[in-house]
Amino acid sequence: MAAGARDKLDLTRTHAAVGEPFVWLTAMGLSLGLLMVAGLLGIIVSNGVPVFWPDRVYDLHLKPGVKNPVAAGADSITGEIVQRREKRIPVLGPDGAKIADQTEVQVFVGNKDAYGSAFAFVNNADVASITEPPGIYRLERLEYGIAFGYPVSITLPGGQSLPAGSPEFSKTLDRLAAESEKQRLEIEEIEKHEIGRLNARIKDLRAKGRGSAESLAAIAALDAEYQILAAKARELRTAKAASALVYKTPTGVERTLPIGDLVSYSLPNQLGFFERAALCARNVWNFLALDPREANTEGGIFPAIFGTFVMTLLMSIAVVPFGVVAAIYLREYARQGLAVRSVRIAVNNLAGVPSIVFGVFGLGFFVYFVGGSLDQLLFSDYLPTPTFGTGGILWASATLALMTVPVVIVATEEALAAVPRGMREGSLSCGASKWQTIQRIILPASIPGILTGLILAMARGAGEVAPLMLVGVVKLAPSLPLDTEFPFVHLERKFMHLGFHIYDLGFQSPDSEAAKPMVFATTLLLILLVVVLNLAAILIREKLRKKYATGAF
Amino acid sequence: MPSPLPDHATDQARFQTSKRTLAVDRLMTVVIKFGGALVITSVLGIFLFILLQIWPLFAPASVEPLKSIPIPAAKYALLGIDEWGGNPFLVKTDGSFLVVDYESGAATDKAIDLGTTAQVTAASLNKREQKVILGTADGHFILVSPNQTSREEGGRRIVETNPKAEAPVAIGEPGRPVIDIAYGDSGTSKLVVALQSCGETNRLTASLFKRKRSLMGKSREEPAGSFDLTPLIPGRPEKILVPATGDSVIVLTGSGKAAYLVLEGGRFEVLQTFTPFEDLANPHINAANFIFGDVSIAFASDSGANRIFSLFYPEGSDKRLFGFVHEFPDLGASPVFLVSTLRNKAFLLGGGREISLRYSTTESIRWQAALPFTAENAVISGKYQRLALLGSDHALHFYNIDDPHPDSGWKALFGKVWYEGAPGPKWEWQSTGGSDDFEPKYSLVPLIFGTLKGTLYAMLFAVPIALLSALYTSQFLDPRFRSVVKPTMEIMASLPSVVLGFLAAIYIAPLIERQVPSLLLVAAGVPLVATASGFLWSRLPIQIRKFIHPGWEWIVFLPLLLASAAALWSLGPAFEAVAFVVTDPATGQKTADFRAWWPAATGSSFDQRNSLVVGFMMGFAVIPIIFTITEDALSNVPKPLVTASMACGASRWQTAIRVVLPTASAGIFSALMIGLGRAVGETMIVVMATGNTPIMEWNIFSGMRTLSANIAVELPEAPHHGTLYRTLFLGAMVLFLLTFAINTVAEVLRQHLREKFKTI
Repeated sequence: MAAGARDKLDLTRTHAAVGEPFVWLTAMGLSLGLLMVAGLLGIIVSNGVPVFWPDRVYDLHLKPGVKNPVAAGADSITGEIVQRREKRIPVLGPDGAKIADQTEVQVFVGNKDAYGSAFAFVNNADVASITEPPGIYRLERLEYGIAFGYPVSITLPGGQSLPAGSPEFSKTLDRLAAESEKQRLEIEEIEKHEIGRLNARIKDLRAKGRGSAESLAAIAALDAEYQILAAKARELRTAKAASALVYKTPTGVERTLPIGDLVSYSLPNQLGFFERAALCARNVWNFLALDPREANTEGGIFPAIFGTFVMTLLMSIAVVPFGVVAAIYLREYARQGLAVRSVRIAVNNLAGVPSIVFGVFGLGFFVYFVGGSLDQLLFSDYLPTPTFGTGGILWASATLALMTVPVVIVATEEALAAVPRGMREGSLSCGASKWQTIQRIILPASIPGILTGLILAMARGAGEVAPLMLVGVVKLAPSLPLDTEFPFVHLERKFMHLGFHIYDLGFQSPDSEAAKPMVFATTLLLILLVVVLNLAAILIREKLRKKYATGAF
Repeated sequence: MPSPLPDHATDQARFQTSKRTLAVDRLMTVVIKFGGALVITSVLGIFLFILLQIWPLFAPASVEPLKSIPIPAAKYALLGIDEWGGNPFLVKTDGSFLVVDYESGAATDKAIDLGTTAQVTAASLNKREQKVILGTADGHFILVSPNQTSREEGGRRIVETNPKAEAPVAIGEPGRPVIDIAYGDSGTSKLVVALQSCGETNRLTASLFKRKRSLMGKSREEPAGSFDLTPLIPGRPEKILVPATGDSVIVLTGSGKAAYLVLEGGRFEVLQTFTPFEDLANPHINAANFIFGDVSIAFASDSGANRIFSLFYPEGSDKRLFGFVHEFPDLGASPVFLVSTLRNKAFLLGGGREISLRYSTTESIRWQAALPFTAENAVISGKYQRLALLGSDHALHFYNIDDPHPDSGWKALFGKVWYEGAPGPKWEWQSTGGSDDFEPKYSLVPLIFGTLKGTLYAMLFAVPIALLSALYTSQFLDPRFRSVVKPTMEIMASLPSVVLGFLAAIYIAPLIERQVPSLLLVAAGVPLVATASGFLWSRLPIQIRKFIHPGWEWIVFLPLLLASAAALWSLGPAFEAVAFVVTDPATGQKTADFRAWWPAATGSSFDQRNSLVVGFMMGFAVIPIIFTITEDALSNVPKPLVTASMACGASRWQTAIRVVLPTASAGIFSALMIGLGRAVGETMIVVMATGNTPIMEWNIFSGMRTLSANIAVELPEAPHHGTLYRTLFLGAMVLFLLTFAINTVAEVLRQHLREKFKTI
């Protein structure tokens, strides 16, 4: 390599340049790596953020003679433009060259009940012009998702109808929508909580009473209570369905929507920037705070956020004491030698064992062995319906705690080792006992390190899905693991999880196209959570490194 | 005089530590030692627990004697049993049943009205119908239903037998005694085959009955033909076997031949004649029986040799014929009976005092023993949990069979297995199937193969990028950037794999599917551009080069990389139009489509969710791990080595490649191992981004099924403690051991490296 340079002494081409092309090659490696991270985050952000921003609605006027994919005969397609993309199969001319325009437009047309599918594809070349219909309404419904249309009239509870042109139309619509929202909440309160409570008590009595006379009488009393509640719910339901909005779809079909089924409405083409921003904020809030609807493709993801939170919390409660005690034992109490060294290697390596293996263990040990034994001992009345002998949030947390305990042990051990020897010896020479030294000197000094380990464990726990699939995560949990019903903490319940929500929506949803916005939004949230946790861990570690710069390896 | 100062030296209590401190210290010592040891043992207990779960897969059957019940000495034509093993019955020569009740130990006679007084000379059991067919001395056959019912009473199972007979039907030559009889019932027709002794010769007759359903739902059977099969048989027929489907007959002759006759188009035809023990001195077949499913036949020769023949389509043939499939070791005695089970492919072979429980598919001997008596016949209960042996000591000996996983074992899990109906032995994973007699196939080999395939493609993509970027970051990068670059890469490591899998399936897979040529161009072109631009740059005079500081190249490279990648990407369709054109043979239409070209050119399939996508996406999980550890190893190379090299006039590249890299090689190797461990165990990306088909081919454009994905897909549905459940635990164990071994090697290497640097 150096031969060329020896021939002619040239200061501009010295040895320093030898291998320079390869340096550039390595630079490419780094650039590529960074681009990959940026690209991935970019994809998620660029797909996740627009989900909340209200889109404009367009009329795509088709060229004459083109078959309308939505409704035969109509000359335009109305909806939000999702994307323009290259066609899957390129068509070639006779000479092998591609025929000019091969892009197609994917339009979200909504009105799934009327059209059968909420999406339509149309060739870019077939579109004559695109206009914005100013007066179109975007109706978010409880069922069948979004509808686009033009209001015709409101049918009031009394039977009279209020045409869309009248001045109090929008006021009446708002009033009715607010009323029905209230009724909906009431119905939910009755059906979910009060009836749920009754059912739980009846189930309890059936299992424990074993058909005794008193238990049967109690069940009958509860049943009567149930009948009253059910009648009340029915009444509210009828009241909710009393008023209706009549609207016309863009293809001209008139449809009726009970106002009780109207979640919200907007005029997407008449919104100013700030109104749009406000609507966007409301969408974000709804996403975070509401329960999912329509096979999880609509509504919010609150139960998944809550489930992830509670599970991570339980996991942290379990993992910190055990991890710290094990680390203190390994570092401060155990005699250092071959045995401890190999234990250390083994613990270190457990952190690299695939998470699914822990899931398998959790299912076999926690769910079937421990849970099954608990059921035999404490809940034998309910058998063969398992209480703890099936996946639940307790077992999921325990499994993840087991999975992340090596992470905490390793981090804590490193933090303990980084405490300078002088501090230890100083404390001991002042007459402190071993435990006093640990408690007052070493542990406080290593708190940041332990915290780093915990945060890393939490990030791993929050993002992990594979083991959870085996030990208690579900796509739709009827009730939260913490609620207002005695005993308030329901550790045996199944729960929802952000990561599993992504898997389920993105992979197992019946209507994957409709689920896409939801998945990207959920992904964005999960990524934010994990990235923030990791950044926190990195920052704490950097601080720690500076503090004990001398003690670090 | 002032009072003297207190004498501190003599105040001993002052130097004593308070009792409380000491007590707390002792307590904490105990707590931490106990707790720490507990946590560590319980973490390591995972291994033991999983081992405990998979152990039964490799355990042999355990067969324990229960009790013996004496029965009257007589000649019995048949031994049968109920599903639960509580009521075995024997058929006497007068047609009456001797029912033995296991619980009470009583043997009671149940007389039945056969409608004839002739002696019963032959009998056999149709397992699917649970009916007995009796052949009489005067050339009739009678169908008898044992009519067994069971109920639970006070924790004990009470089984009752109330046999009921149908009317006798004449078959074959009138008045001749039936010496063997069997029948099959397809639902619409019934085939009864009888072997009659006619002096010197044996006559073989098949009678077909068609079943017609009347409007009332009652069915009526009508004779639909009788066939004299004797002329078709190459030799003297001795024994007959009829499958439950009632569409064929297997006839065994005195010279050891087996003839396979099929009823087709209203007549019988010999499809095949074979001699199972052709190579033996005495090829005579002593015992034979169908294995559950009636697709395989187990044969035993006089000497005790034992072979299985199965029906399958041989390679390149359109006829389903019997072929030699499995061979078992000799029994060690002349076999007397060969009985199969109603639950799995196991069968029991016995003769004299020797008895052996064998599993046909995996060629494994589940249990073999020498009995304390001579067994004449045997029967296994329908649930494969109780065995009744008829001893020559006039007693029925009951045994308990505990064999929950007969279809498992080393051979089934790791060896090539010749499954029923397959043209040859192979490794296969197929845990569930449509039909009842479907045989689950639990070979872990395709899964291990899939794991290795996914890992290979992930590493192919990840290793170059990770090593190059680590080398650059540690050796050439301006140190100011390092505090940004490393956390960025670490964030990449923390991305949840479900997110990567979802993006792979929803975003990357459709993108790559359309743009494979573009991807090829980018993959080949970008490194070329990088090297070429580096080359050109180094040729530039120093006056220009000084504008870019060493360690800033990557910033310059970012726009260059983006531009060249974009350019190459957009060239993809043109490249496709030139290089990947397929002509449709039917229409002559030319299509430039890589997806069509790949199968046409290589004969391998092209799936949207393929190994390329998995490899790419797994790169995100593996690159940061390899990067971080490699970077650490390279940065920790003692500075004096680097400065010495520089001082000797080596360029920064020469220093990096000849001094730093070899010194840190152990650390780099350890990084690769840890990355490998991560790729091996990755679950969600593989579950979502591949089709999860357990195939065994290296084709980059097809999917695979890995051990981890297999567990995630199948374990939620696997019944507790079933064979599938335990096999999936075994898969987890393989993963555990694999990653643990890989990581241990890596860790030991790292420690070795640490020691090495200490001395420099």
